[in-house]
Amino acid sequence: MSKSENKDWDVCIIGSGAGGGPVALTLAKAGYSVVVLEKGPWFTEKDFYKDELACCRRSVYTPKLSEEQHVIEDTDSDGQWVGEATSDSGWDFWNGNCVGGSSNLMSGFFYRLKPEDFRLRSEFGAIEGANVVDWPISYDDLEPYYAMVESEVGVSGQFADHPFAEPRSTDDFPYPATREHPISQQIDKTCRSLGLHSLPTPRAILSRDKGHRRSCEYSGFCGSYGCSSGAKGSSRAALLDQAVATSHCEIKPLCKVYKLSSDSKGKVVSADYYDENSDSQSISATLFVVACQAIETSRLLLSSTGAKHPRGLANNSGQVGKNLLFSAGGSGNGDFEYADMDTQVAEDMRTRGPFVNRGLQDWYFIDDELVGGRIKGGTVDFLLRHPNTMSKALSAKWDGDDLMWGRALQKNLKSIFVDSQTLRYEIFCDWLPTDNCFVRLDNTVKDKWGSPVANVRIGYHQHDLKVGHYINERCSKVFKKMGAKNIRSNVSGAPPQNLVAGGCRFGHDPKTSVLNADCRAHDVENLYVTDGSFMPTGGSVPYTWTIYANAFRVAEKIKDVLS
Amino acid sequence: MNEFMRCDQTASKITGISRREFMKRVGLLSSLALTYPAAALGELRQSKTKQALADWQTEPAWQTLAQVQEVLFPAAEDIPGAADFGATIYLHRAIENPDADGEDKGFIFRGVGWLDGLTQERYKKTFLQLSEDRQQEIIVVIVNSNAGRNWVSTLLTYTLEALLMDPVYGGNKNGMGWKWLEHQPGYPAPPADKTWEQLLQRRYKSTAKA
Repeated sequence: MSKSENKDWDVCIIGSGAGGGPVALTLAKAGYSVVVLEKGPWFTEKDFYKDELACCRRSVYTPKLSEEQHVIEDTDSDGQWVGEATSDSGWDFWNGNCVGGSSNLMSGFFYRLKPEDFRLRSEFGAIEGANVVDWPISYDDLEPYYAMVESEVGVSGQFADHPFAEPRSTDDFPYPATREHPISQQIDKTCRSLGLHSLPTPRAILSRDKGHRRSCEYSGFCGSYGCSSGAKGSSRAALLDQAVATSHCEIKPLCKVYKLSSDSKGKVVSADYYDENSDSQSISATLFVVACQAIETSRLLLSSTGAKHPRGLANNSGQVGKNLLFSAGGSGNGDFEYADMDTQVAEDMRTRGPFVNRGLQDWYFIDDELVGGRIKGGTVDFLLRHPNTMSKALSAKWDGDDLMWGRALQKNLKSIFVDSQTLRYEIFCDWLPTDNCFVRLDNTVKDKWGSPVANVRIGYHQHDLKVGHYINERCSKVFKKMGAKNIRSNVSGAPPQNLVAGGCRFGHDPKTSVLNADCRAHDVENLYVTDGSFMPTGGSVPYTWTIYANAFRVAEKIKDVLS
Repeated sequence: MNEFMRCDQTASKITGISRREFMKRVGLLSSLALTYPAAALGELRQSKTKQALADWQTEPAWQTLAQVQEVLFPAAEDIPGAADFGATIYLHRAIENPDADGEDKGFIFRGVGWLDGLTQERYKKTFLQLSEDRQQEIIVVIVNSNAGRNWVSTLLTYTLEALLMDPVYGGNKNGMGWKWLEHQPGYPAPPADKTWEQLLQRRYKSTAKA
């Protein structure tokens, strides 16, 4: 049963996260009628609590894997690609299916790309086995929109100059830095002594009220949790609430778009979706914007075959789903034991709530014989171990392969929870685009509505590990110098599923890219993609700020087309 | 052969275990310097003896599970035990929930049968009829089999959730798990009408209450 809404919308946006929000707001403010279809529910500040069970132990913000899953293809011990459904493995690749998407759940530490990231191929040359290309736009094209995100979404921070600082059009951030943890001073001191430039981390977290959004309340539980004050700059709190207030934008939750239907000329005519009763519905609009996060965006386009698009919408090049990106790098932890500190220092170190807000970009570019000359490096972020209890408690259950219980377990628990503060670093490097990292439709596994799920091959390039190890060794030295104990770190090619982009790269050549420089599909005149899918290379920072900025940029292009 | 021991090569190792090794594994030799206010626990234990049991709590399988949880997480003067913080009430709510992981529920109850099968085989008694020492010994035995280790591990996960998740879910009574581990919870805390079960309904119906 399919029925159509009578209303013709100017713009239909599929997905309400960081890629959808800026477009909805810009076009609604300009007076165009905008409908946003979101597959998940609409939670608000009134639904977000610091509930570890809801946040992190049960599927509340993401689908049940038995109902909607992915198939992940990795190499087995013989080097053969083997797929496994996430409903079998439990390896969840969803990131927040609700109004505002995963931007509700981010920790909001925000970095811009640097001018060199827009021309990686020209700057550093080709790497064998990697599909590195230059972007069709430059940093200068995006800079005004990075600045716009600072004020529209609300980015707090304090600008500090350093050797690899990117140019800014404004002197400093519109919101002062959020409150800082006492350990930040120790990081600064140690980094200075090592000749490193520890930088205040910009955050998409308000340090004072903005409209209906309250300043951060410093509960200390931020990443993975929805924000109950509205301080976190989610697409929902920062953009969609405003878009709805214009009365030109309607958000329809629990609408799962399964196909974009196109006419004999190849134009998209409707978004076909299942409503909350799993009845098929469809919506027509002048122009369609896809922003479902990289994997699902490619899946939707590949599922949307039509007369002019036999291999999937916008896929006459065969490029849809190719060159998927995650973020390479690794992480490390070190313990600071209270017993080794003066009472006051220990008291300070126990502080819960303020942010560490420190990062390093001294190795964003590396020029060292050890790695064969000048290469692209990455960013390091410092943070306290997440205050969630269960990862700590579950680690107390095991001593090697031995299961701990009774008094032994209780002793372990006490030691893990009470004896030390754990500082952590995370390394973000480019995940080189390769022929072994892509999305296609799975041949056998289907979701609860009977649509083929995304099959994701997660191959990585060895070069990524080389860069990760180089930076990791240097981070370990920082921790050692700080006096951390029990330093343990990990660099691997396993993809962090929450840092995903690519699959519909933009470029000038329709044969080698899916989108043009305006993020319009080369072969569909009324289709735009505004999530992280457009990125041909990822840069060495989390993606969200760049996704926001690019979506604001593309929204201006769409406004020009509609007028 | 008992289900816990089936297809398991490591099971035979356990017969050679020394009393000392056993004591070490369950941690009885380690001295604990814990600071949870024993007075608060004492008061709580006093008041609890007066409470009537719900029907399900009198069922043999649930009584066995409650006792296993107490062995896995025993009380001491300054340590909240499984019964103190509501481990079994939490477990009951967690696995009897229609949205819960049905596999866990089946496995947990099958394990109760296997456990009693093993104690019958060895001592001609149910687990509940054994002395506390014997109960501990039998847990040591099953933890050395793969299936038994998985079963105990599953129960431990729920027990730790009961210790540390928000009190709204039936465990962590008065936040005693947090107090014992000096954990500062975040805020705001979830009210009874915004639990994960209620929020979950919104994934299926936009009009669902939450």
